[in-house]
Amino acid sequence: MTLLALALGVVLAVAVWVQLNQVERLTQTLQAGAEMVVLDVHQAESEYLRLREQWQHAVDAPPPPDRAALQFRYEIWVSRIGLLRGERRAKVMRSSPEFEAALGRVDAFVVQADRLFAPATPTYRREDLEAMLPALRALNGDLHEMSVSAALHVSEQLTQRHLALRRHNQVALALTASLLALVLAFAWVAWRQLRQLDERRRSLEHLTGVLRVARHDAEAASHAKSTFLANMSHELRTPFQGLLGMLSLLRETGMNPRQIDYLRTATESADHLLALLNDILDMSQLEAGRLTLMPSTVDLRVLLREVEALMRPQAAAKNLALHIDAEPGVPERVLLDATRVKQVLFNLIGNAIKFSDQGAVVLDVRLTAAAAEGPSAMLEFVVSDTGIGIDAETLPLLFQRFVRADATPARRHGGTGLGLEISRNLARLMGGDITASSQPGEGSRFCFSVPLHDARVDLVVPLVDATEDAQPAQPLRVLVAEDHPVNRQYLAALLENMGHRTRFVGNGDEAVTAAAEERFDLVLMDLHMPVTDGLTATRTIRALPDRVAATVPIVALTADAFPETRDRCMVAGMNDFLTKPVSAQKLAVTIRRLFGAGATSDIEPQAEAKGGDAAAGHMSLPLLDPVSVATALETMSPERLGAMIAAFLDQGPAMAQRLRVAVRDGQPLELSVQAHAARGVALNLGLAALASTAQSLQDGASHLPAHEVARLVQRFEEQIPRSREAAELAGLLQPAPMPAK
Amino acid sequence: MTTTRRTLLQAGASMLLASALPARALLPATGPVLLTVSGKILSPNDGAQAQFDMAMLEKLPQTSFSTRTPWYAQPRKFTGPLLRDVLREAGAQGTMLRARALNDYRVDIPFDDAQRFDLIVARLLDDQPMAVRDKGPLFTIYPFDAREELRNAVYYSRSAWQLRTIEVR
Repeated sequence: MTLLALALGVVLAVAVWVQLNQVERLTQTLQAGAEMVVLDVHQAESEYLRLREQWQHAVDAPPPPDRAALQFRYEIWVSRIGLLRGERRAKVMRSSPEFEAALGRVDAFVVQADRLFAPATPTYRREDLEAMLPALRALNGDLHEMSVSAALHVSEQLTQRHLALRRHNQVALALTASLLALVLAFAWVAWRQLRQLDERRRSLEHLTGVLRVARHDAEAASHAKSTFLANMSHELRTPFQGLLGMLSLLRETGMNPRQIDYLRTATESADHLLALLNDILDMSQLEAGRLTLMPSTVDLRVLLREVEALMRPQAAAKNLALHIDAEPGVPERVLLDATRVKQVLFNLIGNAIKFSDQGAVVLDVRLTAAAAEGPSAMLEFVVSDTGIGIDAETLPLLFQRFVRADATPARRHGGTGLGLEISRNLARLMGGDITASSQPGEGSRFCFSVPLHDARVDLVVPLVDATEDAQPAQPLRVLVAEDHPVNRQYLAALLENMGHRTRFVGNGDEAVTAAAEERFDLVLMDLHMPVTDGLTATRTIRALPDRVAATVPIVALTADAFPETRDRCMVAGMNDFLTKPVSAQKLAVTIRRLFGAGATSDIEPQAEAKGGDAAAGHMSLPLLDPVSVATALETMSPERLGAMIAAFLDQGPAMAQRLRVAVRDGQPLELSVQAHAARGVALNLGLAALASTAQSLQDGASHLPAHEVARLVQRFEEQIPRSREAAELAGLLQPAPMPAK
Repeated sequence: MTTTRRTLLQAGASMLLASALPARALLPATGPVLLTVSGKILSPNDGAQAQFDMAMLEKLPQTSFSTRTPWYAQPRKFTGPLLRDVLREAGAQGTMLRARALNDYRVDIPFDDAQRFDLIVARLLDDQPMAVRDKGPLFTIYPFDAREELRNAVYYSRSAWQLRTIEVR
């Protein structure tokens, strides 16, 4: 392109120079006025002829000659000759010696004649004139010669000028042609560029089309995958429910140590598998952007207690200390999605425990100052450990899936590999983040921060206390619609353990019929059933003419955990929603929510002095409370009750141990939780004294002096064998007790 | 330039006069006749012709300028009355002036030229009268140096030296 431009510039410059040159040359020739010379010479010749005639006439005519007239003629002729000597003639006739010679001879005559016509001479004789006549005549040839010469010369010059013009024209034409060529070249290049651009644009458009199709396909594939996962989640969870349910039931029957060991392993495997499944589900939801947080007002300290309770056994198993602490400035109630926050904390603390072999794992909860933009303050959960640490190479890769801090094939540390990625995605979804810092050999520090939203004081939803007991007050008539036989079996055992009466149906149609026929207090409705599914059955029940039957509380049972499902249940008219696997605790909480708090853990043990042995300490309480026993016997067989008492008492020493460890480690929170758990069960089994001691422990865990607490634990331990004796006396237990664990 | 304006005003006035009043009579020549104006004239002094001698030409307002010409190598000074003044004296009214020289050279000068340009009838070359052999006695000269448009063959040819007669057509 630049080359062309340069060529164009050069050609234009040359054109301009040539034009200027030609113009100069032309003006020169014009000014010369060559053709005028020819006229001058011709005039000189014609005047000469007139002069010669007049001269002859003067000679021939009778004297005196007419001087004035002749002189006049002569003067005119001389003036013509004078012209020939001018600048103009000189320029034109430059290279003609003949012309010069002829002119010379003419000049000679003029000199002579001037003497004759000089004013000094008054007159001249006829003889003088006659004498000059030959000379005059001789000039004829010269003048003619000059005339011809001038004509030829001028014509030659004209031809030359003509040729020069023609050449000039040719040059001009050539320049124009080359200019045209250059312009065409330019045009061609420009056109080619345009064509290229057009092609490029076309290929881009094509590419866009292809990409659009590809994107559509990818989205469709992703959507298909999500749907597949959603469907499969139910399919996967259902047998899970069966498996876990059976395992937990198995746990409650008496087993020998080896069986218990096998059972524990099996349960661990199942738990791990369930954790994987949940992680996969969470990950797919997060990726699809379908995971929604459900924040609610949460009592932060209760949440922390639950976390501690769950993590404590893991820490204890590795002889690690677990400290959970909240700064004084942290508000009591905050707005969070408790489930997800716990999920993250479990993940972080679990990792800390996994990767530490000694020392302590600490969770600090505190506030940080406001950032430049964003919420007014952040709530920080800092998990630090004294474990093996993470090296600088692995640190940036931590939050990527399947990256383990330890790459040994032995997989010593377990885990699903998705945990940290999910945790961070959850954190970011909440508007916060997780950051990690670590030094190899010196432990790690994970900081999980979320924006702080102070919760309103009025709305306090009590969280599910994981260790709450599952003993309801009044027995209910429960209709269970569940198609899977294993699940039916499990739910049957569960509900009967809780003391409720059950009826089972296998599909939605039967559920509607049953609901119309009988009065039920509660309906547990599985969503995925043949013939008619749970949602349709619910809608049909709600449309029953019998208003009492139509308004029966219906709780959904489903393995599918998507929020849309929950919404659909509510829209269909269900009262509540339970995800499978259904635990006893969850069921109990739901029932409590629907039917109010029964006469369960809130009832204080009566300070009645009933019969029974006198126990050490403040014992006005019987070891075995007949009233409670009687109540229990209303809903289950004596054998059943006896088995349960036996099971509980067998665990007694272990329970006591846990209490003692809590005391030793100075963990009032832990102690309180353990005591509360023990109390609940004991109370429902009628083991009043144990319940009372446990209650005292629970209440006094945080403020009683250490030795007092230790004494209570001691008492608890002593009451265990004595309660056993009481139970044997009451006929509930066989006199030959089961070997203690 | 004031000369031009003055003469223009004079020309305008004289034309008005010429159209309004009867033609003023021209006195006859006393010396040798140098220039004869014939044709459409209103003030003849010899039959149908208006004849001028040197004295009559001298009496008219003289204009002088120096200019280059094709006939002389150097610029020369020409002095003489303006042609339009001479024509006014003769009462000339026409469109074309046919000028003839002593050697029968003929050229047509548009009447307009005399009005538009300071075209003079030169009688002095460098303040000296011109002999016949020096292209005299009279020479119509345009102010070539003053105006570029005059410097071409057309105007050169209208500069008739050895001027003898002007026929007004």
